[in-house]
Amino acid sequence: MVYSKNDWNKLLKMVCFILVPFWILNVGQCLVQKDRFDEELLLKPLPSGHVYAYFQFTTVWDAPSGPQMFQHCHLFPRALGEVAGRHNVQELHVTLTEGLWRYEYWGFPVSDAAPGAELWTWFRNDTKDVDNIWKKLTGALSGLLCASLNFIGTPNSLSPEYSFRPTGVVKNSNLNSSFVRYATLPREIVCTENLTPWKKLLPCDSKKGFASLLNAGHIHNTNYHSLGLHIRPVCKDAKCTEVSIELRQTVSLVYDMMILGFQNQDWSLRKLFGLGLSGPCPLATSSFIYVDVTSNETGTPYQLQPEPTEVITSIRGGYESKFKVYNIQKMSFTHMLNIVATYSTPKVYAVNVPPVLYASRYIVGYGQERGGIVTKIHNNHWKHLDIIYLENIPWFLPIYLHTLRVVAGGKEITPILKKYVPGKERSRPYSLEVLLRIPARSVTEIYIEFDYVFLKWQEYPPDANHGFYIGSAIISAYLPVGKNYMGLPQAGPTIYSSFNASREGFLLQLRTESLIITLPTPDFSMPYNVICLACTVVALAFGPLHNITTKRLCMKDGNSCNGLLIRLKSMLFKGRKPQAQAH
Amino acid sequence: MDSLVFMEYALAGLIRFWLLCSDYRQTVADRVEVSTPLNSWKRVTEGAFLYNEGINPYDGDLFHETPLGLFVFKYMIQRLSQWLGVIFIICDLLTAHLLYRTACIYMKELIEKQTLEKSSYAKDTQGLLLRNEDLKLSPIYVASAYLFNPYIILNCVGQTTTVFTNLCLAATYLMMVKGQQLPCCFALAMATLQALYPAMLVVPASLYIAKKNTCGMSDRCSQIYSPWATCGLFACVLFFLLYFSSQLSGSWTFLHSTYGFILNVPDLRPNIGLFWYFFTEMFEHFRPLFICAFQINAAFLYLVPLTLRLHEEPMLLATSLTALTAIFKSYPCLGDVGFYLALLPMWKHLFNYMQQGFVVSCFFIITSVLGPIVWHLWIYSRSANANFYFGVTLAFATAQIFLVTDILFAYIKREFSLHFGLQREVNGKAAKLVLE
Repeated sequence: MVYSKNDWNKLLKMVCFILVPFWILNVGQCLVQKDRFDEELLLKPLPSGHVYAYFQFTTVWDAPSGPQMFQHCHLFPRALGEVAGRHNVQELHVTLTEGLWRYEYWGFPVSDAAPGAELWTWFRNDTKDVDNIWKKLTGALSGLLCASLNFIGTPNSLSPEYSFRPTGVVKNSNLNSSFVRYATLPREIVCTENLTPWKKLLPCDSKKGFASLLNAGHIHNTNYHSLGLHIRPVCKDAKCTEVSIELRQTVSLVYDMMILGFQNQDWSLRKLFGLGLSGPCPLATSSFIYVDVTSNETGTPYQLQPEPTEVITSIRGGYESKFKVYNIQKMSFTHMLNIVATYSTPKVYAVNVPPVLYASRYIVGYGQERGGIVTKIHNNHWKHLDIIYLENIPWFLPIYLHTLRVVAGGKEITPILKKYVPGKERSRPYSLEVLLRIPARSVTEIYIEFDYVFLKWQEYPPDANHGFYIGSAIISAYLPVGKNYMGLPQAGPTIYSSFNASREGFLLQLRTESLIITLPTPDFSMPYNVICLACTVVALAFGPLHNITTKRLCMKDGNSCNGLLIRLKSMLFKGRKPQAQAH
Repeated sequence: MDSLVFMEYALAGLIRFWLLCSDYRQTVADRVEVSTPLNSWKRVTEGAFLYNEGINPYDGDLFHETPLGLFVFKYMIQRLSQWLGVIFIICDLLTAHLLYRTACIYMKELIEKQTLEKSSYAKDTQGLLLRNEDLKLSPIYVASAYLFNPYIILNCVGQTTTVFTNLCLAATYLMMVKGQQLPCCFALAMATLQALYPAMLVVPASLYIAKKNTCGMSDRCSQIYSPWATCGLFACVLFFLLYFSSQLSGSWTFLHSTYGFILNVPDLRPNIGLFWYFFTEMFEHFRPLFICAFQINAAFLYLVPLTLRLHEEPMLLATSLTALTAIFKSYPCLGDVGFYLALLPMWKHLFNYMQQGFVVSCFFIITSVLGPIVWHLWIYSRSANANFYFGVTLAFATAQIFLVTDILFAYIKREFSLHFGLQREVNGKAAKLVLE
């Protein structure tokens, strides 16, 4: 068959007719799938001489709703999307943390995290068999993040009634706490194997942009580092008729410059992360570095090199803070960008002014029989504060609710509200939520007694005498002042949106220390001996009782009832006796 | 005589009152030998507190009393909190008095029986016979053994709910020797409701009541029917109490927290029994098997053989069953041990035939001293481990087993001697007593 030029033209037209709609459809789909990615880095020298670095990567995606929601992803990580979609997740918050955030000396972080792994999730209202789906979700996340999240199940999960509200948009306002699950793994050790899969969820991976600063070697020598992953639905527009999905990936790092081997307090991107910044992530809508220079006005000042592109003054909750802003997309990159902070004079440490609210927790009592947990909550505000205290006690530490004492300044306080779910052996932890009004400028002490449980020998971990961890307690409060507060406002996803964002109250969730206790241990080498000895004692009773009940007493003359030896003898010499008689 | 007994009550009451008012109260209440998960007053307080807070105490892990107990104890804690100590003392003294009355009646019966059967006894057995002074002495010994037994005093001072179980048991014994069917069944059902194991006392109780009520009459029919009637009555009363409990708590879920807890032994806190370390070290695969084996051993294993052997002597049967339960039950405490020890003076006439009295008393003293020491070494100074305490509990159980088997052997030997004389000769040759 021979085609003429006309035929070719016809064919091309036909192909166009067939293909173009598809192409348009494709473009259309891309246009429908609007998404944006923002990368931000906040650097803040802390009053204690540490440097706080907070990375935030925000992806907001106007995802099409429906079952195929996560099948076509652009910037949003499909792996995570599928996990969230399949498990009916409305909100998901995972943090992997090493170290303890010291509220008293460092103020409040942008986002709080408990030591170890922490996971809390709101499932959609139509979810059936939440416990089962929760178990599946933790398994999937464990694979995704290479963390031991698969050890989370019903025996160590709570459904707190008051402490965890959805942070994003909720369709109907009547919340049912049976759809929320919260669990911590305080023993989880966070390391490179968690960082690498976490970085892979970013659009630019660690090749370009701020993520290239996250090198394992420089992250894991910090005093505190925390990886976070937060998914929530947010409003698409001001009217909030439709929702978008927001994924916030965060890294909090606290460096101690003196420990890291630099002789002075000066810090720079290169000192902190090992290398400078090579440029923004090309897929990012915005890339900003903020340096908090508020302390320059009161403490020892430091100079920044190069000069920032902008200076922002933010007034929030009655407190003013100053930021120097580097808009990375507007900067030209001939070589690696290195932001350097130099102190002209050696830094002088001022007297520490602790934040409005902070807490500490410890165990009292000695021996391994019974003890108590004491939580001290410091309120430095001039007015009383209402707080919610959530205690999360594993099942192997039974607490006695009647021993709960809340004392502030020598006076006992009656909690406004108590929500207690008693634990059950091997299937449910003890959860206690207490709503308290703590007086102004006071230290409130919450005390509760517990027993040490004796576990079965196979329930102890291989290093049984290392001890068992108890997850941190959570203290939630609405702070009336913005002092030391760095958290993001509920509506805004970026750090930028927190500037000048004054609200009536600032939601704060403090995490206390996690605790460790050593439960009494049995002798692990003894199972056979114990089984034998105990059964012997039972047999000691069985033997004589069997004799008493089945035999009757009778009188036997000495011969017929001789000992075993004589009977044996008589049996042996049975044959010989007649012979002797024969002689 | 009576004034002596009342003096004893007063003195025992004063000792308990002094200890309850002193700082030792908390120390004693915290001892694992005294307070088990099943009877500790701290857990009762927690249960009552949870109930007042509107939380189902059976939802948690700490409370194991029955709803009836919960109701009574809640009332006591709320309304009579000033008098708690006094209530415990009064209950303990009342138990002692019930046992004293039981011993009085029982000794009288023994002597009556002796005079009836005297003709059939061998000639040289005058020394074995009960004397009239035993009629007075034995009950006083019983009361003293209860009032001044350190185990019982600790049990009362530690404010365990075993005080009330013992009261119910003592009432059962008294009603049993009095031959009163319904009160006996009720008291026994109350004890069973709380501790489950006393259920098997229904066998000696029904035998005793049958024997007592048909005594003198040659009405074989009623002798056969009476035990079944007692068992049936007991079952009815128990079921009624359980039903009442379920109505009080609103559901039957309490069964899992009370009897399920007793039978499955989920709490492995050390006590004086054999279960805790055995099931701590048990391989998970064999757990159900051994739980069944140990529970059968504690509850049913010795019931039938001992009944067949001792059906003539239901009181001894009841005592030995109580003792065996106290040794082998899943959460035994010193209060259980003290209770059956207090019953033993009723068989004062058997003591001559007991061979291991010295060994057993040495064991009791040594283990009672060593127990708290090795516990302290293990739990507080961490210089010993669980094996030490396990060893002590094993020795304690062994001593108790020796005591029970010894008294049963003594009974058999005395019976034999009464009927066949004290001479140990067969055809003029020296002979030995053997079990065959």
